[in-house]
Amino acid sequence: MNIKKLLKQIVIENQEWVELRYHRRNSLKLQVKNGNLTDSVSTTLSGVAVRALVDGSWGFVSTSDLTLEGLRAAAAEAVKAAREAGVLKENKIQGLAEIEPVQGSFNLAEERQDQKQEPDLGRKIKLLMEADGQVRAAGEDIIASQVSYSEFKDSKIIVTGEGVEVEIFDPKCDIGVVAYGASKNQQERAHASHGVTGSWAKLFADRKLSDLADKAVELVRKRLEAGYVSGGQYQVILDPALVGVLAHEAIGHTVEADFVESGSAVQGRIGEQVASELVTLVDEGNIADAAGRVIIDDEGTRSTRTTIIEKGILKNYLHNRESALKFETEPGGNARAFTYRDEPLIRMTNTFILPGESDLEEMIAGIEDGFFLKGMAQGGQADSTAEFMFDVLEAYQIKKGKIGKPVKGLTLSGQAFEVLKSVDAVSRDFEFGLGRGYCGKGQAAKVDAGGPYLRCRVTIGGQQ
Amino acid sequence: MNNNQDKTRAQQEDNLIGGYGLEVCQRLVEEGRSKGLDDIEVYYQRLKSLEVVIEKNDLQLPKSDIYQGVGIRVFKNGSMGFASTNDLDENSLKLLMKQAAVMAENSPPDRNNRLPEAEKLEEVPDIYDDRAENIQLGDLIESARSFMKEIKQDDRVTVDTAGFSASIVNDAIATSRGIISQDRQTYFETQALALAREGEEVSSFDMEYQVSCFYEELDVAESGRKLRDKVLASLGADTIESFRGEILLTPFSAVTLLVRPLVFAVNSENVQNGISPWKDKSGKQVAADILTVIDDGTLPGGVGSGKFDREGLPQKRLTVIKDGHLQELFYNAYTAARAGRNSNGRAGGGAQSTPDIAPSNFMVSGGKKSRDELISEIERGLLVNRYSGSVDPVSGDFSGVVKGGQLIDRGCKVKPVREVMISGNIYQMLQKIAGLSREREDIMNFKLPYVLLEDVSITCG
Repeated sequence: MNIKKLLKQIVIENQEWVELRYHRRNSLKLQVKNGNLTDSVSTTLSGVAVRALVDGSWGFVSTSDLTLEGLRAAAAEAVKAAREAGVLKENKIQGLAEIEPVQGSFNLAEERQDQKQEPDLGRKIKLLMEADGQVRAAGEDIIASQVSYSEFKDSKIIVTGEGVEVEIFDPKCDIGVVAYGASKNQQERAHASHGVTGSWAKLFADRKLSDLADKAVELVRKRLEAGYVSGGQYQVILDPALVGVLAHEAIGHTVEADFVESGSAVQGRIGEQVASELVTLVDEGNIADAAGRVIIDDEGTRSTRTTIIEKGILKNYLHNRESALKFETEPGGNARAFTYRDEPLIRMTNTFILPGESDLEEMIAGIEDGFFLKGMAQGGQADSTAEFMFDVLEAYQIKKGKIGKPVKGLTLSGQAFEVLKSVDAVSRDFEFGLGRGYCGKGQAAKVDAGGPYLRCRVTIGGQQ
Repeated sequence: MNNNQDKTRAQQEDNLIGGYGLEVCQRLVEEGRSKGLDDIEVYYQRLKSLEVVIEKNDLQLPKSDIYQGVGIRVFKNGSMGFASTNDLDENSLKLLMKQAAVMAENSPPDRNNRLPEAEKLEEVPDIYDDRAENIQLGDLIESARSFMKEIKQDDRVTVDTAGFSASIVNDAIATSRGIISQDRQTYFETQALALAREGEEVSSFDMEYQVSCFYEELDVAESGRKLRDKVLASLGADTIESFRGEILLTPFSAVTLLVRPLVFAVNSENVQNGISPWKDKSGKQVAADILTVIDDGTLPGGVGSGKFDREGLPQKRLTVIKDGHLQELFYNAYTAARAGRNSNGRAGGGAQSTPDIAPSNFMVSGGKKSRDELISEIERGLLVNRYSGSVDPVSGDFSGVVKGGQLIDRGCKVKPVREVMISGNIYQMLQKIAGLSREREDIMNFKLPYVLLEDVSITCG
């Protein structure tokens, strides 16, 4: 019996509501460091996740035993677990928001076609080795290099109690180049990366691997020559990559309905002004090529655009089926699971601020004393209070409307909604900027985020 | 019917334990040999895990998972390839061997690609709880209940997420160099993230964590009490003036701020690639005299302990830093070959990936004074409960926000503070550690004291 039929049979056999998700992932990971291929890994991970909803409580069992008996046993264990949990659970799940019983195949015919034209493994390795060599050949100040590539080819089948029956093919890949530089007594690291939903050809449709290598070298050199500054409150320009980080990390997580219920900064604030009226922020899964692309989520919900902030007003949170029913709204396709071993959680997909009408040059010209900030260096963090801290990859002083010297060691912090309230100009540009970005929330998710350039006020942490 | 289903699943589980993993490993090594490969390593892993999750103060999800998979590394003419799968039927395993060979064929040769020779392996005591197989989701639900009972003593506290988990790991390895072994371990974890809310005021998130190889050793109620008190203490946090002073890192904040850079700096790969700040510091002073760091994979009851590392070698006790002097780096077979020496058993990873480099039980020495004595000697400083920010392991520069921070004035904790940033360079600060507490705490596979650092820039937004 084919897998889809097996899943359907389990759903039919069960008196209780069950959702079954088959997920097979073939992945490839390649990594070159300093001229050596340090990783060439091919992995297959496949199995079925069974989620049961019984007496207002969930049970979840994952198994790689894909026989009818194996699936029956897994479903029985999930139902039993849900029943046991139900005895203790205080706030019983009242049900799930209704969704369209989507049926069909989301196999992205053009993607499948593209996959056929992929360079073979040997060619991919060769190209990565070349890029790695290019970084170190840039000069004696470049002391180490690293190029990493990973791809997922996901095949999923989702069957639920209310008639969802979908097959999905979802290929994603990303590339990153790191350059390490040294001068005198200091060492610095910088990276350039890119990610898409699609094939190798799509990954390099509008940029070359050698450009990423050049970019990493250029950035690390700037960091080597850059000086430190002292911190304080400044007017700054954030580039699309940092706008993406802000939209995802500092705002996006606070509007995930599970965080909202836990008392995040936006609890009970729908309809309030939370940002400058120049700011419209959305999460949208089904965007061609975007690294966080989701067509049908892991609960079988079709992905749509959710407007989180519209002209400064908080409009919506992000939902799964359970929270959507509770908040009396519709789910937008934000329930995502990383592998078959993971349960769907409320996650972002592609989160971004819509472009505005300002000219970047004019935005810079309007700053007396501030900074032009680009990209995130090593990482950052944000809390449910929307307070955040990110370290900046590339930064320049702006003095009297002109871009000046590169500076480093900068961190950007504040309360994200306060920062968005301070926005007084939004550029016409638009880019996704998370590159190889993954979001971590107990489990990973491939996401993207971005936007235009923003001018706003933030707290800069310096090290002078 | 349900009973039968339970039985089927139980029987299947039984089949998976025992010698199955080792048998698969040995069989695949033989098959690889017959295909003319130079060397073969097969690593098998079975991970059974149960987890109960609390969200928003309520029981959310009981979860059960069994992962079982193998990873094959093959070597041919100096090239290496790796493939793994959790689809263990005969055809898939044949394809897996082929795939690993294809990966090798397409990879450039590297003279340091090699498998280590077999060494004597010994069981580590007290890392397997015989009762683990009998633990049910119902037991973990009970743990969750005792934890929540403590949390609910104060209705201002909300648990964002908490997880109570039980894990049973079976590993097996066979290589063409004569390594044939299997091992098993259990570990139990409690981790929780909570916040407090009073009116409009929201505290920082804070965490509590416990781990043990034995279920009975966890004290979930204690964990709940501590977390409740910590988040309540960060309510009413106030801003302060910027100053330079001392910071006292809790073991938890020391994981991010201290351990991660240390582990990076002593990773032989980073040293060989020239990106470790200690690339030329072997035998030299890298930290204050009071710092000694031991990494011991043979520690009885250690969560990071095991009979062998990812390449089948013993994880002997290593003195990494002694009295502030760098003694040993972490090696796997590859980096050891590059350095012209033998591996010291620090290959990390599982069946789904090639060996990397990882510590076993990474332990920072404690000092003579208690935590409270250290606090009492601080003129003006900050207790850093949790650190949320960046640490660049290459340069050592760090800059980030203090969560759940407490201002210390003339030896007393005076008030919770918010929006305080600390910054500096961790490698420079290591040279002048002002104190280590007698008490140490286990966080994952790290054992850490409270760490007192001097002359830190403490800025308030």
